[in-house]
Amino acid sequence: MPSFVPLSPDTVEDQRRYTRARLVEVACLDCLAKVGVKKNSEHHTSIQWSGQALKQCQEFARMSDAPDGRSVHAACPRLAASIEAAVREGEINIGAEDGY
Amino acid sequence: MSDTRLLDTGTVPERFARGWHCLGLVDAFRDGLPHAVEAFGGKLVVWADSQGEIKVLDGYCRHMGGDLTQGTVKGDEIACPFHDWRWGGDGKCKAIPYARRVPLRARTQTYPTVIRNGQVLVWHDVEGGQADMEILPPELEGVGTDRYTDWTWEVIDVPNAHCREIVDNVVDMAHFFYIHFAFPTNFRNVFEGHMATQFMESTGRPDMAGEGYGDEDLILKSEATYYGPSYMINWLETDYKGFLTKVILVNCHIPTGPNSFKLQYGLCVEKPEGLDDKTARYIGKKYSDMFGDGFLQDVAIWLNKAPVQNPLLCEEDGPVYQLRRWYEQFYVDKADIVAEMTDRFEFEVDTTRANENWRAEVEENLARKAAEDAANAQTVEKTPEPAESS
Ligand code: FES
Ligand SMILES: [Fe+2]
Repeated sequence: MPSFVPLSPDTVEDQRRYTRARLVEVACLDCLAKVGVKKNSEHHTSIQWSGQALKQCQEFARMSDAPDGRSVHAACPRLAASIEAAVREGEINIGAEDGY
Repeated sequence: MSDTRLLDTGTVPERFARGWHCLGLVDAFRDGLPHAVEAFGGKLVVWADSQGEIKVLDGYCRHMGGDLTQGTVKGDEIACPFHDWRWGGDGKCKAIPYARRVPLRARTQTYPTVIRNGQVLVWHDVEGGQADMEILPPELEGVGTDRYTDWTWEVIDVPNAHCREIVDNVVDMAHFFYIHFAFPTNFRNVFEGHMATQFMESTGRPDMAGEGYGDEDLILKSEATYYGPSYMINWLETDYKGFLTKVILVNCHIPTGPNSFKLQYGLCVEKPEGLDDKTARYIGKKYSDMFGDGFLQDVAIWLNKAPVQNPLLCEEDGPVYQLRRWYEQFYVDKADIVAEMTDRFEFEVDTTRANENWRAEVEENLARKAAEDAANAQTVEKTPEPAESS
């Protein structure tokens, strides 16, 4: 059953633009997990994982659940370093296109 | 063709989200009386059986539609006020005092119930699927013991907005400045599986004289996770003039109709060492009031805004589209959940430009206020003292 149905076909294009457009594939230098990355500015980063990449990340596997019940891992430092390296190599274009 | 951008208001889903929903603090239901909870487009009856176990059924009797919430708890069962049919927590009619036998088909809608952290959670699934114990919110270590104050609990009725509006807050960096009077200096989101998290650090706006979170001496470090569609735990470390407090805030809601919900929030405070209970409770109350004001600021916006399926974003905005993609998993059939709804996604908002601009705006506001105060002081000096009146 569909939910939150948009009424305009342009909305579907917006959904694509904001979620999938301009993602660049980056592989973690340590575990080789492949993620999609977008950087609209130096301090902005968008990272799209897949189920397979998540399984591959050794860092997350090592991190146990935090003691107070928080179960969310903020970020993988190794992947962050790999993304920085990709930026240095010029593989990731920094900049936004009209807000996305 | 015109370049004018149009709002796509979309259509709201006909169903209510699949998942755990919190009905309130368990103690509130243990007074031997039936309680009415508006939920999922209808009404639920909630009561405690003779063992103190919480039972939740559809609020209307399957005999002739009597309102069970106006009935009586008799033993373990809820008795209907109309003809005294007795309904057990398992949904079966256990007795009809005036009848030879109970019809075999006398079964009503039950809501699987779990008590978590002193709160009642019920499972809702239009498909009638098994309650998923794997995705319950975590147990909060120490909560309910002497280490923490008791939960506060407040309910705000939002009669005219879809509950996705409150979930949108997870990614809304800029509204913290305009609506809650804080500078969000750090802002990050992570969505994964049934969880959506916001990491934020903020300080209060000095030009807002302590309104909302607008106290310049208040520094918040906040980590807030939705466990499913409606139940958020927010771990907060607050620093007020060097005085550190750990606050756990629960922000949850129950959809009441297709375009209405009840927002509930409660918090407890880790009792600071060397502080008596009364003072700790006082601190808890202060924070509860502050977040309550914050929610009311949000509600004022929701009640007047248009629903929008196609928000137009700038570079400083959070990942609204990805959050909504995550949120949809609770509204489609379980078989229709696709990977991109649940795949891990991370987003770091660049807050540098926003904070530069906001600092400048606040400086201006302060300067204007100082000038006004100075001008007022002068007029006061010139005016002769009025004679004292009573
Ligand atoms: S309607 Fe409930 S007993 Fe008749
Ligand atoms: Fe808000």
